[in-house]
Amino acid sequence: MPVDRKETHMSVQFNLARWAAAFGLAFLAGLGTAFAQTGPLVSTDWLEKNLDNKTVRIVEVSVEPGLFERGHIPGAQNVVWHTDLVETVRRDIASPEKFQALARRLGVDKDTTVVLYGDNNNWFAAWGAWVFEIYGLRDNVKLLDGGRKKWDLEKRPLETTVAEVKPSAFTVAAPNKALRARLQDVLASVEKTSDAKILDIRSVDEFNGKVIAPPGIQELAIRAGHIPGSVNVPWGQTINQADGSLKPVEELRKLYANVGIDGSKPVITSCRIGERSSHSWFVLTRVLGYQAANYDGSWTEYGNVVGVPINNPAGLVWTGK
Amino acid sequence: MTTLSAETLAAPRPLSDETPPHRSIAGAVVLAGIFMSVAWLLGLIAEQGTRLQLSFVLGGAFGYVLQRSRFCFLCMWRDYLDHGDPRGVVGILTALAVGAAGYTLIFGAWLPDPSGLRLPPTAHIGPVGPVLVVAGLAFGAGMAISGSCISAHLYRLAEGSPTAPFALIGAVFGFWLGFASWNTLYLASLSEAPVIWLPRHLGYGGTLVATIVLLGGLSAWLLRVGPFRPSGGVAQEEPHPLTAIFVARWPAWVGGLLVGVIGVAAYLRLSPLGVTAEIGSRARQAADAFGLLPDRLEGLDAFRGCATLVRDAILTPNGTFVLGLVLAAGVASAGAGAFKPAWPRLGQILRGLAGGTLLGWGAMLGLGCTVGTLLSGISAGAVSGWIFALAVIVGTTVSLRAARWFG
Repeated sequence: MPVDRKETHMSVQFNLARWAAAFGLAFLAGLGTAFAQTGPLVSTDWLEKNLDNKTVRIVEVSVEPGLFERGHIPGAQNVVWHTDLVETVRRDIASPEKFQALARRLGVDKDTTVVLYGDNNNWFAAWGAWVFEIYGLRDNVKLLDGGRKKWDLEKRPLETTVAEVKPSAFTVAAPNKALRARLQDVLASVEKTSDAKILDIRSVDEFNGKVIAPPGIQELAIRAGHIPGSVNVPWGQTINQADGSLKPVEELRKLYANVGIDGSKPVITSCRIGERSSHSWFVLTRVLGYQAANYDGSWTEYGNVVGVPINNPAGLVWTGK
Repeated sequence: MTTLSAETLAAPRPLSDETPPHRSIAGAVVLAGIFMSVAWLLGLIAEQGTRLQLSFVLGGAFGYVLQRSRFCFLCMWRDYLDHGDPRGVVGILTALAVGAAGYTLIFGAWLPDPSGLRLPPTAHIGPVGPVLVVAGLAFGAGMAISGSCISAHLYRLAEGSPTAPFALIGAVFGFWLGFASWNTLYLASLSEAPVIWLPRHLGYGGTLVATIVLLGGLSAWLLRVGPFRPSGGVAQEEPHPLTAIFVARWPAWVGGLLVGVIGVAAYLRLSPLGVTAEIGSRARQAADAFGLLPDRLEGLDAFRGCATLVRDAILTPNGTFVLGLVLAAGVASAGAGAFKPAWPRLGQILRGLAGGTLLGWGAMLGLGCTVGTLLSGISAGAVSGWIFALAVIVGTTVSLRAARWFG
């Protein structure tokens, strides 16, 4: 019967489709173990195995000029933090339009796995992750554990040519203001009208007011010391100095618990200009799952504001003799 | 005043069949051993080791080539000026042409579109204005008075030159004077001086074609007017290959080719060629320690070139570059029997100190010397390189002529 035959034919087609779907799912699941990387960090090993993975976009954010050009992880794109990720005239992170243009140029969209890495133990790569998350790119954005340092130490390959990528059609999300602390949020914590705890990640000498800025850097603040009520964990303490990788989660948890930061209250991370603190912000929010906002005004804003309370244990007087 | 230095192309050293004395060759072998040991030791330093080592080796290659081809900007210019012999100048033009071609290749990979606001990373593209001209004039005068530019003083140090050490000491003084005058000149002029990069306006292709046409045209003109060939047409005897490599002076164009290649290699792997960054930085460090430095050198650290950052590291890539340069020049000069130390005379000391001061002051304000600003700048398509070159030529020529005039 023609009808029966048609039905049989259809059912064969249907079965084939089911088989194909099942096979496809199984195949994807198999790939998943190889490709998907849950969590906020990827290992150097994982990244090297995924260099050709079309769903992964590698992005370098380094401080030293010329580092990317003279050799980067194969396939990586370059982002210059002080022109691409910020506004160059007013002091602010990149505007939504500017960020959207950047993400499109990088070929990044919401379903792209973005692996950020850089020099200086991922200091500015973490700043990149913070800006990416403000504009709606969070769960698929990861840091390469150990950054350039570990990749170099393990003698993994570098290349000098820049891969061409197809621009994406990424649409920027409204900025997530919860990730960014402003002066009034900090003052609310100082005046105890909010229960946010301030984590100052500068060096001990900066925190205590012995120096206003690290050696070799202009002061840029008129007063020394720290925000009252803030606690100090220099950002470098989260890192294994040998290879630049992050310390184990339990160790990090303990490091912050020692100063009373345990995730029970929101945290505001702060430093001198807000870049180093974005690294600690990343550790707190993405690695430990705590609620935290980064204060990018940091000491160069707070230490210059007229009339706000300051703790200055060392008693250094600006330009004082 | 007959000569300010011992070398000219017009009176070539006899291409002798004689080999240098055995102790000279032994000295070269020992120095080469030291060079290789230092290179090996540098490679053992954690993290920075590879860079320091590579910089040392490239410095060595540069120093060897400089000594073997006597790549001295002043001598080459004077050979043309006084004797009409253009070969040295053509050697410099060769280095610039090779550099420009190599830089263009690298730029195309690193910054495919030159029309935006960015500059290629670390390339020596400096501000163009009156300060650059004054710096070039001073540097040119310093060359004429002290007998060579800074890179040539470095290789001559390894030939036992009695003037070179004083010129380098003078350069440190010059850097200090440069720091002292920097803020005034920055606020008066440098802060508004435009940084002009030719590829942004002409594209990479346009810049390279214009550069090669200009350099080629200059070479053709120089070679046409140069009455430097012996007219008799007597074929000179070919030297033994070993003599040609290790004893005789290499033709300037060979030196130029190699200098260009080393410059491109250095830019690709480390940073543009330059020899004053380390001298300037150490001068800045010392001035800082003695409290001689202004509290702030306005805008200096934002400029490209052999900018003088305060160093706290014991070894820097530019430091090992200069060390490698001097050591390898020592290997070259000992191997050629050209290591002839002499006690300095008072005139040499004074000329070295005075000329060196002008060299240092000019290099500080010009953000580099004949290597960092002129060679690396022109290779990079920087207008600052060309302007500095013109100012250096004028400064040198006027000083040489004035010296002869007052005799």
